[in-house]
Amino acid sequence: MRSPDVAPARRVSLLPLLAKEVVELLSGRALWTMLLILCPLVGFSFFQAVALYGEASAAARDQPQLASSLSPLDGILVPTFGAFYVAVTLLFPFVAIRALGREKETGTVKLLVQLPYRIPTLIASKLTAIIVAWLIVAIPVAAALVFWRLFGGHLNLLETSHLLFGHLLYGLLIGAIALFAAAISDNSATAAIVTLVFTIGSWVLDFALAGQSGALGWISRLSLTQALRTFEQGLLSAALVLGMCSAITGFATLAAIWLHPGTSLHKKLARTILCVGLAGVLLAVATQLRASSDVSEDKRNSFPTADQRALAGLNKSLIVTVHLAPEDPRYVDLQRNVLSKLERVVPNATIRLVTIGQSVIGSAGEVSYGEIEYSYGGHSARSRSTSHREALPLIYGLAGVPVPTPQAGEDYPGYPLVADGWIALPWFFVALPLLIAVAWWRWNCHAPRIPAQFVKNGGQL
Amino acid sequence: MMSDTRTLPLAEQAAAAPLQVVGITKWYSEQRALADVSFDIRRGEILGLIGPNGSGKTTLLETVAGLLPVDAGSVLWQRSLLPQHRRREVVFYLPDGVRPWDGRHVIGVLEFFASAFGRRAAELDEVTRSVGLEEVLGKHVFALSKGHARRLMLALALLTPHPVLLMDEPFDGFDIRQTREIMTLMRRIAAQGRTFTLAIHQLIDAERVCDRFILLADGRVCGIGSLDDLRTRTGQTTASLEDVFLALT
Repeated sequence: MRSPDVAPARRVSLLPLLAKEVVELLSGRALWTMLLILCPLVGFSFFQAVALYGEASAAARDQPQLASSLSPLDGILVPTFGAFYVAVTLLFPFVAIRALGREKETGTVKLLVQLPYRIPTLIASKLTAIIVAWLIVAIPVAAALVFWRLFGGHLNLLETSHLLFGHLLYGLLIGAIALFAAAISDNSATAAIVTLVFTIGSWVLDFALAGQSGALGWISRLSLTQALRTFEQGLLSAALVLGMCSAITGFATLAAIWLHPGTSLHKKLARTILCVGLAGVLLAVATQLRASSDVSEDKRNSFPTADQRALAGLNKSLIVTVHLAPEDPRYVDLQRNVLSKLERVVPNATIRLVTIGQSVIGSAGEVSYGEIEYSYGGHSARSRSTSHREALPLIYGLAGVPVPTPQAGEDYPGYPLVADGWIALPWFFVALPLLIAVAWWRWNCHAPRIPAQFVKNGGQL
Repeated sequence: MMSDTRTLPLAEQAAAAPLQVVGITKWYSEQRALADVSFDIRRGEILGLIGPNGSGKTTLLETVAGLLPVDAGSVLWQRSLLPQHRRREVVFYLPDGVRPWDGRHVIGVLEFFASAFGRRAAELDEVTRSVGLEEVLGKHVFALSKGHARRLMLALALLTPHPVLLMDEPFDGFDIRQTREIMTLMRRIAAQGRTFTLAIHQLIDAERVCDRFILLADGRVCGIGSLDDLRTRTGQTTASLEDVFLALT
């Protein structure tokens, strides 16, 4: 046995650490239990989605114009991933907490921090293991996608991978929060409560503050669930991706700050304040980013191509003043059909929401309530329509630009499909859970590889 | 209270006692756990940290290892300040009552430690044999007996390259024969230049294995030295460590 004067400084391999973290997560019950729960959850959601999609597709046989509204993203992917989202929100924290919680509970963390790895490396390896765990729990979702393809369903690669990417970021965010919670808690139960405060608190934000304007509206946008909606709409937003990455990095950094038991409380607090401040700055920068890409196959986040080109050429400031309360359904329509698309395509567009009263009822008495005023180049025009078919000609008129001719052949065809989702149910309710149970049993019972020199009497120790 | 190495020239002092603990004080809220504790650790010795339960042994080991923040005091390595975040380069601490990564097999934990610290397979084999873990390599850590769990912890410490090993109650859970085996192993390793600092509350065990002792009571150092030194201080030339401890605390 060597006994040098000091532990030599050397490059240490990360592989043993990564392998250890993955094995730790696989050794816990939480991952396997979540996987078993996910099978029927995702399976049933998929079955229902296929059934509803089939009904809508059957109607499209009689009225072909309905086919263009049949998008697998809305009809199949979002509902199927919906069950996955609920499970990741409520169950994945227990999986992720295992990455650190068990070491904290047993006191092993005192050995962990003495390993020849920097604390950020330890946290990064745990986060990597959490990604692996997410990939494993996504198996039922992947199975649903395979079934959809086997049924003859259409999947757009870019759209599907974009949605998967959004869910991965969401899973990582939940994992980072769980790591932070485990780092500040003495046991896994407390860590789970702390994590659920964040995740369930997001739902509370959604219910209580959604549709509010001003500061409350800004706070409601901090909800974790809001983050996924943009991905579900097929919009890849630089602001959202940077914001989520900042939040993940922020929570992971906080976990690193709080992990080492030898750091004094006041140092941890000072570093926490610095970290929260930096993350806040990054989030603020993220909100200013306007770059985005419409990755949906039906280009639902964009105007028709000809309009996109014409609007992108408007070089003066376009100001849209909306006289609607944020909770008014007309505002929601306007936001979806016109405003969000204008903000994306017009280089210098400003949206002003004039909230006249506190509620729809209170505001409705105002004469101007419901009006949308478009101002461009010193001219303005008013409208009450929430459709782009009326709004865009107004803007073209203000800018003195001819209304562009729609391009032929760019209409989304839609992908109607009548399939029998029953076929998938035995897989999700019996076969896949059985396979997972067998894999779990084999993992628990597998005999480790013992070096040959320690094996005697034909394999007996 | 410092030991006699302080009277040596600086270079010799650094070589003889590379690790020095100076004036460590630690408070838990209103309760003082350690009061101005100073001592040095010499190369190749087995140093016993002796004291009753609650005397501050574990707290002292954890502060020296950098696993607990201190209110005052410092640790020097070869006469240079060793900041808290660099202690793990010199000192490795084995806590008491920990079953590391208990859901894994013993061989898995050993191989992970060996890989992390860049040990070769032959070194892992040697350590495994030296602590007597061959028969339980295929067991889960949670299924180990207390004695084997202790051996596993000792094996982990031996797989590290650190010159100073701090161990909290290393003989807890061993029977007499096992204790003697482990003491012999420690002696052999100490002879190669590594240093052990053992927090022990069983004075008989401490007397058997340690070269020097730090007597700790209520967070204060009441005596440092070999058993003969301590006997001289108490004027009891044939006294046992227990008698010396009672006389000085």
